Amino acid sequence: MKGSAAVELAEATRAPSAGINRGISILDLILRIVALVCTLGSAIAMGTTNETLPFFTQFIRFRAEYNDLPTFTFFVAANAVVSGYLLLSLPISIFHIMRSGAQNSRILLIILDTSMLALLTAGASASAAIVYLAHNGNAKANWLSICQQFNSFCERISGSLIGSFGAVTVFILLILLSGMALSRR
Amino acid sequence: MMRSGDHSTTIEVPPMESDAVVKGKAPLLPASNARPAAGWKRGVAIFDFVFRISAMVAALAAAAAMGTSDQTLPFFTQFFQFEASYDDLPTFQFFVIAMAIVAGYLLLSLPFSIATIVRPFAVCPRMLLLFLDTVALTLTTAAGASGAAIVYLAHNGNQGANWLPICQQFGDFCQKVSGAVVASFIAAFLILLVVSLSAMALRRV
Repeated sequence: MKGSAAVELAEATRAPSAGINRGISILDLILRIVALVCTLGSAIAMGTTNETLPFFTQFIRFRAEYNDLPTFTFFVAANAVVSGYLLLSLPISIFHIMRSGAQNSRILLIILDTSMLALLTAGASASAAIVYLAHNGNAKANWLSICQQFNSFCERISGSLIGSFGAVTVFILLILLSGMALSRR
Repeated sequence: MMRSGDHSTTIEVPPMESDAVVKGKAPLLPASNARPAAGWKRGVAIFDFVFRISAMVAALAAAAAMGTSDQTLPFFTQFFQFEASYDDLPTFQFFVIAMAIVAGYLLLSLPFSIATIVRPFAVCPRMLLLFLDTVALTLTTAAGASGAAIVYLAHNGNQGANWLPICQQFGDFCQKVSGAVVASFIAAFLILLVVSLSAMALRRV
């Protein structure tokens, strides 16, 4: 009788923390889906940019695509890789909901999340630098701003940055949540 | 138990360890015997400390290299003087500020890192460091990547946008700036290692 009472007490003290762990894992899954939508949206928005001005001369091309700037190609590739990773990590996240006590897989997920955060931030900030140049140009380097001619191209590339930076914030929250779930008893 | 007929009248009391411990006479058990996890957690914390110092040095070097990257060309016309400095490009200004912030943060986080070495099972300093290190990683990568985009443009220019490469004129400036970007990427990689180590050490074992 004493033994069963002791077991019940132990289970009662474990239950709330297991409940919080499960809540953390569910929040993790939701944030992962949000980040997936954000990065996928950014990649598609940048990848489908194509603006042709209605006039042309014999030698100069008046067309803007994301291909023309290697930085944007890197941006599309980085966002695509990160959204693919998020898709593949959804099953592991679901596994964490079912088994809240799994530690090694959580550590693996943290390390991969951090690498993907670095990749995503690199793509997003490199593109931000080029978008800034496209909007403002640079007098000293004699780089003219191209936004005045290619209006809708400029709007598209600026808007696609939003999804990417939003996904960066979500990744930071994901890493924090995984750390919390790891350290709880 | 006293038994009649024994020639000794001692009462046998089983030795209780708690008495000796309470009186402070029991020898302290070495940490590795009682909690073997303390050993490897301490090792991980020491690596964390070493990588943190290396990342701080790299971040400081990046900020300094970019900040001192002025170059003035030896010829000039009546109206223009041909000089290049990190000031001219807002991206590079952001780079210097961000790397300086990260270097300062890494310096201030050293006491917390030492705290995790001294107390391997403390969770609060580790969680705080995990979160702040992630933010520092984001800042470093942002500075490095945007700097790399501009440096790439400076080296190669862009045909479609009619942007000419400026590296052919300002060779020294270009070299210093490229070196600064490389140093910031090294710092980012080291901070990535630090975050991974914090995550591994957070295991409850």
